[in-house]
Amino acid sequence: MRVEFILNGRRVAVDVEPSETLLNTLRFKLRVKSVKRGCERGECGSCTILLDGQPVTSCMLLTLQVEGREVTTVEGLEKDDLFRRLVEYFIEEGAIQCGFCTPGILLTAWAGLKQGRFKSVDDVREYVANLCRCTGYVKIINAIYKAATGVAGR
Amino acid sequence: MSQLGFRFLARRTPRKDAEPKVRGLVKYTNDLEYPGMLIGRIVRSPYAFADVKKIDVSEAVRMGAVVITPDDIPQKPFNPRLVSVDEVTFKDTYVLTYKPRYLGEPVAAVAASSEELAQRAAEAIRLEFERVYKPILDPFEAMSPSAPRIHERIMKGDKWIDVENNIAARLDYEEGDVERGFSEADYVLERGFKTGKRYHMQLEPKAVLCVPEPGGKLTIYTTTQSIHNTRILISQLFNIPESRVNVVKVPIGGSFGSSIQTNYLVPIAVALCLKAGKPVKIAYTREEDMLDHSNFVFHFKIKMGARRDGSFTAAEFTNILDVGAHQVQPYPLLGTSLGWFVSMYKWRNLRYRGIAVYTNKVPGCALRGYGAPEVQWAVETMVDEIAEALGIDPIEIRLKNYVGRGDIFWGQGPTVRSVIKSDGVPELLLKGKELINWDKRGRPGEKKGRYRRGIGVARGFHTSGAGGPISGEVIDYTGCILKLNEDGSLDYLTALQDHGGGTLDAHVKIIAEELGVPPDLINLASASTENTPYDVCTHASRGTFVGGECARRAAQILKQKIFETAVRILGRVVNPEALRIGYDEKLGETVVYVEGSDLKITLREITRTAWQRNWGTLVAAVTYRATSAPPSFTVYYVEVEVDTWTGKIRPVRVVAGADVGIPVNPDMVEGQLHGGFAMAWGMAFSEDTKYDPSTGEIMGRMLITDYKIPTAQDVLPPEEFKVLIANTYEPSGPFGAKGLGEAAMNPAVGAILNAVYNAIGVRFYELPVTPDKVVKALRERGETPW
Repeated sequence: MRVEFILNGRRVAVDVEPSETLLNTLRFKLRVKSVKRGCERGECGSCTILLDGQPVTSCMLLTLQVEGREVTTVEGLEKDDLFRRLVEYFIEEGAIQCGFCTPGILLTAWAGLKQGRFKSVDDVREYVANLCRCTGYVKIINAIYKAATGVAGR
Repeated sequence: MSQLGFRFLARRTPRKDAEPKVRGLVKYTNDLEYPGMLIGRIVRSPYAFADVKKIDVSEAVRMGAVVITPDDIPQKPFNPRLVSVDEVTFKDTYVLTYKPRYLGEPVAAVAASSEELAQRAAEAIRLEFERVYKPILDPFEAMSPSAPRIHERIMKGDKWIDVENNIAARLDYEEGDVERGFSEADYVLERGFKTGKRYHMQLEPKAVLCVPEPGGKLTIYTTTQSIHNTRILISQLFNIPESRVNVVKVPIGGSFGSSIQTNYLVPIAVALCLKAGKPVKIAYTREEDMLDHSNFVFHFKIKMGARRDGSFTAAEFTNILDVGAHQVQPYPLLGTSLGWFVSMYKWRNLRYRGIAVYTNKVPGCALRGYGAPEVQWAVETMVDEIAEALGIDPIEIRLKNYVGRGDIFWGQGPTVRSVIKSDGVPELLLKGKELINWDKRGRPGEKKGRYRRGIGVARGFHTSGAGGPISGEVIDYTGCILKLNEDGSLDYLTALQDHGGGTLDAHVKIIAEELGVPPDLINLASASTENTPYDVCTHASRGTFVGGECARRAAQILKQKIFETAVRILGRVVNPEALRIGYDEKLGETVVYVEGSDLKITLREITRTAWQRNWGTLVAAVTYRATSAPPSFTVYYVEVEVDTWTGKIRPVRVVAGADVGIPVNPDMVEGQLHGGFAMAWGMAFSEDTKYDPSTGEIMGRMLITDYKIPTAQDVLPPEEFKVLIANTYEPSGPFGAKGLGEAAMNPAVGAILNAVYNAIGVRFYELPVTPDKVVKALRERGETPW
């Protein structure tokens, strides 16, 4: 079946199986490898994408469901000022270890920032539900809060 | 720290791979694709203990899949982990088996052109069972003479041995006179402890891509902590010379010990690739990953004797290790468990009994700390209890008895011993005490109300590597190549893997420091087994200490060669000893110079000249064995709050102290402590793979939601997490550095549960301490909140 949607600002058309998840379409048909496969059950957040600006796990969507909608991955935000600031704080804080969860967390954080959700450190802790096993989240929370306020949480 | 005049070390610097990682450009194994590649899937046993009668592959073959069964695999037993020497390596595993011994054990495998087709073919394979046995899940039941034998015969080194009472391996040890020691004690305490069976839950599920090359060669890309050991294992299993197996180092998405061994999917992919003659990729689902590896379950019985003054007189330690269905070298864990115990405090007289026992569970393997988080939790709980019974301050009793500078450390077991040269324990204990307000913590009985807070302390350590002056039962050496390019930049080649903690970034900074070359100009070259010297594995917190020192030595050799070349160019300089190397801020270049004169030449000019005049490449190849394995000490002070109605516990404040010698990058030191604490929190309160007693299946369908690792909501807000770095210098480490990855976690569970005791007056001896256990314990004490 043919599906058309907007991927990182560009219209794409792709043939998919009815049971195909957006995660697999992105990774194997459109070669977007920043979207990671961590659990395929909507639990870990490694495959997070933005669907019309909202962070969702792409393993829990059928590609058919995104017909006509806007899908954004980190590749699509490279020129976005807010995203660049977020990336700078991640690097400066040392919020990156193995990096497997990182693109997904950045997308969740970017959406939260864009929507003005982060008034406090606790707002960040509650909103960012992506799993990370390396960092204990401390530097990630700090980097996001810094991007929200220009002030570090520590 | 920076008083030592470091230019790159002991400073916060962004890691080289930060930018590619945030932009999603780093390719992990499952991101790799190869033209004509097939996708493999594994057919697993639905029973925990059974005999397969027949494997009907006809339908799968009809569907066009390549199929392998045990008949396609050389039937020689192996151990997937090659860290111990062969004589003490017990081999009981087959790539595919007719006798599955845990639910999920690979029986057959398929490969097809798409993942969906492969999955359908795997589901079309019919397994017929001769007999299904009741699974044995309890190690004590497994040891009873009436229990069926999970394994009958296994290999130890190159000899077949019989397995008696399901005992996989044993290690006993005795020092001094234990009976006399206990008779001299004024106070004797005996306790039993049990841990959960934790799953690593590294974010990246294991994956492998095996590519056949012309000339019968194989190229393997996989999630491994040791590319060389993976090559050796594949070479041995399939009888292919090592020179025809090339294992490429690929970035990995966390590991925590789960790929010290070669994961089971690697030989399966190799067998499929050999049969199909095409590239084969296998990527585990999360369920399969949980069926591939988890930790051992520890059952401890510990007895300690102390005098009234708080000094210890004797200790007795029994360690029953539930290893699951196959051995992933649990024998060395019997040694390290003892090593961690011995290296905690001066017991004076000691008896140890370690027994590793088979059960029908997922094979246990190392998980960050290799027994140290478990041992240090138990020891630090009991030391707290003894201090309280004797009326001694918990910090004082620790300072009085701990194994520190000048003492012998043998964390990695009886055959890996060295003398402790750097020790930040007093500094960390005393500074941390002030920061947490130790003296105001109060007593458990005084605390009332629904929410009760408590403060606890624990100390511990981890080894830095498994080296030592004498070759023992553990293999530990590394190697690297450092090459100066024609423009003065460098290529650095090492087989040593970075799990994500930034180990290789530490190597780059160490080379930068030795040569005065900025990290930007040092390339972490793509490495594989065919272009690197052997490295045993990134484990035992050895990456910075062993690998970093190897890198420093290579840089030192290169420095000498640079000086010799400079003398040749400069002419007037008497010999290489007269020269210095460093980064010239004004020039923005690395220069070789004579102190107190204006004679200097840039590194760029030296390398260019050597190239243009045909003098050859300046290169260093080093293989390095560390002759010591110093402990990195850590101290945790933790404040928790217990909700006595729901049994939920939350962290309030943490002071994490680390003695890492010179911190190569303070940002990464903090990162390890933050991550280590989070992992300890999960170990203390939630993490366990529980098995259905009748089927031997992991309960909760292997969902992460049920396994429960900490989320951002469960850990501390950043401002409540204080990190202390001790002011120490390790003479045997690169520029004074030691390891940290595992020490960062090891004592934290002890501190957390000592804090829980301080809050509510209850001690827990079985992990994880779930909310229902807390509520039950409070009720048993007569506390009913409503």
